[in-house]
Amino acid sequence: MRLTRLRAISLTLVLLLGLTSCIRNSQSNRKQLTLAVATGVEGEALKQAARDYEAQHNVHIEIAQFPYANLFEKELIDLKSQTGAYDLIMMDDPWFPKYASGQFLTELTPLLQRRGQTGPDSDFVEASLAVCRHPYQTGPLFALPYVGNSQLFFYRKDLFEKHSLKAPDTWADVLVAAKTIQEKESTGANGSRIHGYVMRAAQGNAAVADFMPIFWAYGGEMFDANGTPAVNSPQGIAALEFMVQLGKYSPPGYASFNADEVNAHLLQGTAAMSINWPAWLSAYRDASRSKVIGKMEITTLPSAEKRGQAEIGNWLIAIPRFSKNAEDAMDFLLWATSAEQMKRSAERGNPPTRRSLFTDPELVARYSTYPAQLRSLETSRPRPRTPYWNEIENAFGIFLSKANSGDLSPAEAMNQANAEIEKILQRAK
Amino acid sequence: MPKSRRFFSAQNRRELLLPAVFIAPALAVLLSLSIYPLIYSITISLQTETAAGVVWGVQNFARLFSDNFFWTAMAHTFVYAIAALTCEFLLGLGLALLLNAQIRGRGLFRASLLVPMMLPTVVVGVVWRLMLNPNFGAINGTLKRFGINTENLTWTASPKLAMLSVIAVDVWQWTPFVFLVLLAGLQAIPQEPYEAALIDGSSRWQTFWHVTLPLLKPSILIVLLLRTMDLLRVFDQIFILTEGGPGFATETISLYIYRTAFRFFDFGYAAAMSFVLLALTNVISAIYIKFLQAKEAN
Repeated sequence: MRLTRLRAISLTLVLLLGLTSCIRNSQSNRKQLTLAVATGVEGEALKQAARDYEAQHNVHIEIAQFPYANLFEKELIDLKSQTGAYDLIMMDDPWFPKYASGQFLTELTPLLQRRGQTGPDSDFVEASLAVCRHPYQTGPLFALPYVGNSQLFFYRKDLFEKHSLKAPDTWADVLVAAKTIQEKESTGANGSRIHGYVMRAAQGNAAVADFMPIFWAYGGEMFDANGTPAVNSPQGIAALEFMVQLGKYSPPGYASFNADEVNAHLLQGTAAMSINWPAWLSAYRDASRSKVIGKMEITTLPSAEKRGQAEIGNWLIAIPRFSKNAEDAMDFLLWATSAEQMKRSAERGNPPTRRSLFTDPELVARYSTYPAQLRSLETSRPRPRTPYWNEIENAFGIFLSKANSGDLSPAEAMNQANAEIEKILQRAK
Repeated sequence: MPKSRRFFSAQNRRELLLPAVFIAPALAVLLSLSIYPLIYSITISLQTETAAGVVWGVQNFARLFSDNFFWTAMAHTFVYAIAALTCEFLLGLGLALLLNAQIRGRGLFRASLLVPMMLPTVVVGVVWRLMLNPNFGAINGTLKRFGINTENLTWTASPKLAMLSVIAVDVWQWTPFVFLVLLAGLQAIPQEPYEAALIDGSSRWQTFWHVTLPLLKPSILIVLLLRTMDLLRVFDQIFILTEGGPGFATETISLYIYRTAFRFFDFGYAAAMSFVLLALTNVISAIYIKFLQAKEAN
């Protein structure tokens, strides 16, 4: 009795083993790639592209999809532990210095040369390629840009016309317009009011992203020529003073707003202006979400002492250094970022990184904001390129948020932020 | 026969083998999932990554002293824990006393009170985040109906109200737990002491103070111990509700540890902070347990 049971178990085991090896054999001649992508419209487009690629080529693409914050964790853990779990990774461009300076990414130029190309396609927007190089703009290429996001300035054309306001070319114009609209639109049709401006000043990424264009326009720089933190320069403090002043026309509680709250206000028509990102554009054309269809104008960022510059926020694709399938990954990367495929991604709602697509008549007919987006992207600038950006952004964001919630004066906030940034850099030495 | 010889006798070995076999899987799990990570985290807390490579030493612990964020987060944690614990205990005790009495619909009350506790903390966080939204949330919506000006009631967005809001959510979710444990404690108290008190002519207040409370003390200490440990490591609700903001107003130590480890990838410093939190939790627990044992000895 005992023996027969043993026999039965071993027979089952043998069968199971045989079966799994059969499965493995049937797949062994099919190439396999693993791709880490973000959730949201950017990741969905790449996921769809991967499915198309599978159908056309003899490659199976495994997709690991994570929300924004987890994607960074998962990728960095994989890169640091050198497991080679991912063959391609999608990343937000501020993560790039950390990945590249840790020597975690495959240099792409040799792979391009093996395919008879000397460098990346000249059709890519310069500003987008610059964030794929380490060091910035001048160094070797470690990624290709996939989604060409950069900040845009949204304002209510109808309200500007109604109150004969000057288009928001400078931040001073913005302040005047915000004040006028707030005062004159204090009671709307159903007793609601329209706020002159809406900004996001939640600690971390949100506050910093909304502040940087003002900071740069006022002539502020995070680091001086020697690389020493300088956010508390007179220009920096003036910029934060301006932000707080503009905040008076922002809905109460904006010191904890993120993109969702900002867009809720703009879509509901309860705020007149904001800095915003292209991913939200489609919501403004959607009648079920937007009460301001046809009323929102999109332009480049306002100027002050200096010409207005948007913050770039491109999604890049890179091949980890420890990927075991770098050649196959490169084939997919070139295919996905080709003009033809990027056009499909654009149709799925992602701004391209190729000039030819921003000027493509079909796409422009569909997305009337493309000329403004191209202008914004071409003149955009990246967040300071440092592997410690996450720490710096966190500390800086806390103090920006504190200044906006009235906890600290702008000068105090900037002084304390500068001291914290100094500490972070000191530790890195 | 000396004890050691008897211990290793053949029969004894056989007797020991079976329990050892049974314990082995649990021991293996414990070793691999608890002991090894603990030792590993001790080693990384003693390492610092620099440009020149990994340096061993107590730099991570030394850094704690000059880190304003760490001390502020610690202070927030204690404010949060003390305020929430006090409210939860008083409310929980009140509810337990109320629902220990024979009142109509007692079963329904008891069951409905337990609902918040059964919800996942993340769900509670998301629901309250929506309710506390200053513009579209249910709370300000209700207040507006009563004609209250809610323009400055921005709850989680206000540096003054944010801490209060996250504490209120914790009280809402965990008072039922305190209530449940105390109710069980109350029901375990025999009737005789009450009868004796009644015969001695003690007032209701005297009965509560001299009979109920002393007999309930073990339950009270246990529930306080469990809640304190939970409150000191609070993470999920705050992460969902405010992410530590506005500014730094609701950043507790667990959030700061998480940020340090998974945003800044400074595992060494995060491990060092975790050990400080562990030590603190242990000290506080030890005090509770001492009280508990003193009670039992009596």
